[in-house]
Amino acid sequence: MALNIKVGLIGLLDMLKFANLGKVRKQAIDAAPANEITAEYKINNFAKEMHPDFQELVVDQIIDHGDADARSFILKRADGKPAAYFRAGQYISLKLPIGESFVTRPYSISSSPEWTKEGKLAVTIKKNPEGFAADYLLANLKVGDKVIGSEGLGSFYYEKLRDAKNVIALAGGSGITPFLSMAYAIRDGIEDFNLTILFGSRTENAVLFRKELDDICAATPKVKVVHVLSDEEKPGFEHGFITAEIIQKYAAGEYSVFICGPEAMYRFAAGEVAKLGLDRKHVRRELLGATKKVWEQPGYPQDKKDQVFKLTVKQGEKEIVCDCPANEPVLVAIERAGIKAPSRCRSGECGWCRSRLTEGEVFIPEETDGRRWADKQMNEIHPCASFALSDLTLIVPGEYY
Amino acid sequence: MAAKYDVVVVGAGNAGISAAVKAALEGKKTLLIEKHNLPGGCASSFRRGRFEFDPSVHEICDWGPDDNKGDVRLLFERNGVKMDWVTVPECYRCISKYSDGTPMDISMPTGREPFIDKMEEYVPGTREAMNKLFDLFAEMKAAVKYMNDGTPNDSKYMQTNFPNVLRTCGYPSLKVLQALKLPQKAIDILSVYWCYLGVPLDELNFLHFGNMLDMYICRKAVIPHHTSHEISMQFMERFYELGGEAWFNCRAEKFLFDGDRICGVETNMGTIECEQVLANINPDIIYAKMMPKELVPEREKKLSTARKHNYSARMCVAYFALNKSREELGIDDYTVFFPSTSDTRREYESLAHIDTNKFSILLCYNKLIPDFSPEGTCVVSFTTMYGPDDWNKITPQEYAGIKDKFAKQCIETMKEKYGVDIEPYIEEMEVSTPMTFARYLGTPEGSTYGYELSGWDGMLARMMLIPEEFPIKGLRHIGAASFRGDGYSSTWINGDMCAAMACAELKEGGNK
Repeated sequence: MALNIKVGLIGLLDMLKFANLGKVRKQAIDAAPANEITAEYKINNFAKEMHPDFQELVVDQIIDHGDADARSFILKRADGKPAAYFRAGQYISLKLPIGESFVTRPYSISSSPEWTKEGKLAVTIKKNPEGFAADYLLANLKVGDKVIGSEGLGSFYYEKLRDAKNVIALAGGSGITPFLSMAYAIRDGIEDFNLTILFGSRTENAVLFRKELDDICAATPKVKVVHVLSDEEKPGFEHGFITAEIIQKYAAGEYSVFICGPEAMYRFAAGEVAKLGLDRKHVRRELLGATKKVWEQPGYPQDKKDQVFKLTVKQGEKEIVCDCPANEPVLVAIERAGIKAPSRCRSGECGWCRSRLTEGEVFIPEETDGRRWADKQMNEIHPCASFALSDLTLIVPGEYY
Repeated sequence: MAAKYDVVVVGAGNAGISAAVKAALEGKKTLLIEKHNLPGGCASSFRRGRFEFDPSVHEICDWGPDDNKGDVRLLFERNGVKMDWVTVPECYRCISKYSDGTPMDISMPTGREPFIDKMEEYVPGTREAMNKLFDLFAEMKAAVKYMNDGTPNDSKYMQTNFPNVLRTCGYPSLKVLQALKLPQKAIDILSVYWCYLGVPLDELNFLHFGNMLDMYICRKAVIPHHTSHEISMQFMERFYELGGEAWFNCRAEKFLFDGDRICGVETNMGTIECEQVLANINPDIIYAKMMPKELVPEREKKLSTARKHNYSARMCVAYFALNKSREELGIDDYTVFFPSTSDTRREYESLAHIDTNKFSILLCYNKLIPDFSPEGTCVVSFTTMYGPDDWNKITPQEYAGIKDKFAKQCIETMKEKYGVDIEPYIEEMEVSTPMTFARYLGTPEGSTYGYELSGWDGMLARMMLIPEEFPIKGLRHIGAASFRGDGYSSTWINGDMCAAMACAELKEGGNK
């Protein structure tokens, strides 16, 4: 039987309805007034406020932390608007013109998210003899200076559906900063979890944010701080490094461990945490930072270590050729050459510096290879976690500042 | 000095990457610019911990087997884009209520006969009507092929060969399914995919809906092995191989004109001169913000006014990486739909608000791709879509809480309807809201389907007026807001078609 489907009573009219679809469209358009077209959307404006291309910030105040060898820089939005809201624990990437270079540095935000309402946020920088940018900032940044910053970045924050209600934070030195922000957020009613900070410092005098932490603990029972001094034995303080025993002593019920500190502390802490037999989901760490001694990584071809290669960087129409030492991340060579190229986490993870390698070979340490699967197959690299093994040609993305 | 290209593609979404490949294949000097640092738009991926998540892919239609190649497969083959797919063997499972309020839990297979058999099992007495429906699909497929083959359409030929198509395709889907005398329960089962187009069945044009159903059922869907980013990268690889250039983190700020003809693009990376622009940007944004007001055509102002900013599908997705395998957890489906009702009009209305929207679609990639995530883990996601009202009112301080509330609702829905509680096993999670899509895609209100494909603005009506849809010389709109509407398949095809038109125009104009 031949198919004979009708929708209306008369098939011919059905056909006309089909033929008229275009005409009906035309009529609907013709019938409308020719108003000026607008494209203002609250949802898009919200996205822009949360994730601006960049924030222009002014140094509002500098606080010296004395023996802790660190300073806090209180930064304020230059345009008087609220600063981009962030999750306590996130970092901000500062974009700094230093000499001929444009470098970025990620710093955990040490202030409460509450401050963003007044356009403010704080970062805390510790003196670091090997730190190029840290020492520059400590020596040069003055009240009134302008800095370009990102919004809050990264996923080092408490997530109630994922993390245990009790969080044991392992902090070393300036690694206290994301936890300070979390502690403020708990005090301010923004976050709701129990935070026990095991804070490793060398001596009592060198403890960063001692008073701030004491004040928070006095204001909320949800935050506790245990100081662990490596170089001093004092009553009221734990002594030594942050070991599995110390963690167990202060942990109760189901708990998540969050770790933030310098590389050496992280490696030690990770070893101790492994002894606790926690589920992987209950152990979170802040960014590792760039690999320091890449030649100590498994699989690194030792003969490349001291070589200097040629790097050709293409960015839009621009093409720049510069030196690229094998022993530091390709991103550093790009920055030294005075190229404004995007980067944020500098730990291989966020992918913001993702660039196309069209010629040459790089070494990428496994632990900081945060690339997408397809990128690994198709020559996309994260220059912040890649090291030249030959002359390279790289196509880098543009920048917005 | 400005860079010079024949064709500039603005926006590397699905339509943009497809258009770029086509233009480069035609030998045009082509530049693809993208404001984000990745290609693909929705067709992308992101990493959290040891997991890689796909932000959007559910089921890609129109690929097809060797003996029944779909338009998407033909496009990939024609343009030399290589891709290994994983076939989705089943259509869908749906756990909901029938329109009469009785509980529904159905699993529909692919293939005409199995689908009809299964329907007969769930709703006895539907075989004859279902056969008619599939016969109509077959006629429709032939008609669509005829209409798309590039030759002028002869109405006599169409009346002789596709009479049923012509008689049904001017109507909304619900009317046609009712005319086939399908019982309401069968219509309820058939209507599950409506959300892929975002228009309720009493409004959604039948040709569009029927064609989609046919592609999913008869040709089966596919998904990428390694997230949508793999697909986008395969397009990019082909584009580079053909000599194309791409600039990332490059945002088009303004279009430049020579008289009334587009002649370039101003960006944060400098000015680019060109003959043709393929813009993967919503037209409202172009006309309101990216070109001189006096050059905006009257017809486009009227069109925009008539559309009333009626953008479609503000997606919200919760992604979970779980530290148990799907077998341990008891997840045995790739995709499960959890509508709160089978009445698509009522469902459409309830989607609008955060409090009333209980709809979600569950995906578990590991069901089809065991190594989608590390051994002993699996990845699931939940998708829904919202109206703009509630999301317009959210403050930054409330935002994280709203995301959590949505994620929690997804977990609860799965627990209640599917009997699996994933909450204790979450190792990584993320939530994408309309704001997230607005951030990365730049689409109005974070919508992902362009303008709603309803009534006079349906796909078929748009396609009938293609010559009028691009009134500015040298500028073509591509993407979900263009004539093919939303979806990976439609936007790839749309980008390819528009690039072909632009290249043809370059040839006629005697340009290089």
